[in-house]
Amino acid sequence: MFRTQVSRVVPSCLRRPAGVKSFQWNRYVSCGRRLYDQDESEKLKRKPLSRIPIGGSEQSASQRVTSDSIEFSTWKAAALFIVVGGGLYYFFSKEKKRLETEKEAEANRGYGKPVVGGPFNLVDENGEKFTDENLLGKWSILYFGFTHCPDICPDELDKLGVWLDALKKKHGIELQPIFVTCDPARDSPKVMKEYLKDFHPSLKGLTGSYDEVKSACKQYRVYFSTPPHVKPGQDYLVDHSIFFYLMDPEGQFVEAMGRNYDEKSGVDKIAEHLKSYVPKEEREKRKGKWYSFLFE
Amino acid sequence: MGWFSKEEDNEYHPIDRSSRRQCWDSRDEFFECLDKIDVINPLDPSQQNKIKQNCQKQEAKFHSSCAESWIKYFKEKRVVDYKKEKFLKEMEQQNATRIELSPEQALGGAKGGSN
Repeated sequence: MFRTQVSRVVPSCLRRPAGVKSFQWNRYVSCGRRLYDQDESEKLKRKPLSRIPIGGSEQSASQRVTSDSIEFSTWKAAALFIVVGGGLYYFFSKEKKRLETEKEAEANRGYGKPVVGGPFNLVDENGEKFTDENLLGKWSILYFGFTHCPDICPDELDKLGVWLDALKKKHGIELQPIFVTCDPARDSPKVMKEYLKDFHPSLKGLTGSYDEVKSACKQYRVYFSTPPHVKPGQDYLVDHSIFFYLMDPEGQFVEAMGRNYDEKSGVDKIAEHLKSYVPKEEREKRKGKWYSFLFE
Repeated sequence: MGWFSKEEDNEYHPIDRSSRRQCWDSRDEFFECLDKIDVINPLDPSQQNKIKQNCQKQEAKFHSSCAESWIKYFKEKRVVDYKKEKFLKEMEQQNATRIELSPEQALGGAKGGSN
């Protein structure tokens, strides 16, 4: 990098004192060093800075790197910095996000005992048995509501439809979407089937006896207020919690998603969870990457 | 009246998308009319005459397009929504930052984002 002409450069101790003629000069090699030969000039290129006279002289001036090479090296270094720095930044921010999502899922899984979710025994819209075992082996998303719901449930189920289509199109992900009624008195399998026609074709609708639905809602910590004995044709609304419950292929609760997730952010959140999912055996083997301490 | 009086077999049928749309549209028309005459609470007894005079047509359409329970729900919701909006506006004037609490954040501690 130092493109200099150093052939005539000599250490300061060898510099010719003023007034001494050239033929006498060799005798002044008193600081114990050989005079530099022409062919040894190469070595001078690596001369430590401490041996360049302070304040500069005409010789040292020739050692300065030219402005051209400064620009060249700066540009190279900057490019290297950007490439390496950018690469590291990208890697670590991606890993940070992944580890955070994984940690969140891990925290929601609880330790040993699931906080949300558990065994239930219901029937689907075709009158077929549907239990917690039907959640195993695939990702599911559960929503609790009722078919007589005035505005929130249909809106949320429409949003779910958008999520499902986007997840499949953008990420190749297919979830098992499940709508569980909190209003078993009115929502028979037949009613569920009729209601679900308006929504995503893959949506399943679960119902059951009052006690079975109540127990399922309790497992999922869903609050609902259906009266136990309603007269046929009675018009009433059901107050209930409005969350989507994302369940992993082990049937374990991953996250409750509220109305704060819109048509786009919900898709991203679900995709993130699916990507950062680690099966149980692997999860227990691996406590964390060597660099996970960075994100503690 | 509501739909259930129309039902002969007394069997419950869920409300489909187009009926829902119809109900919501008639609700919006009625509420728009209430906005014009500055009535917030359609259930307020002291406003009933005013509503009858100005929005009778819209109210009748709303009542015929929606189930009883929905009518009551939407009328009550209008008041709640109005109060909520007013509160948010006031807070905004005081430069408050809105924090959206998602369920896991509500459980795990305050880690809110502004919205």
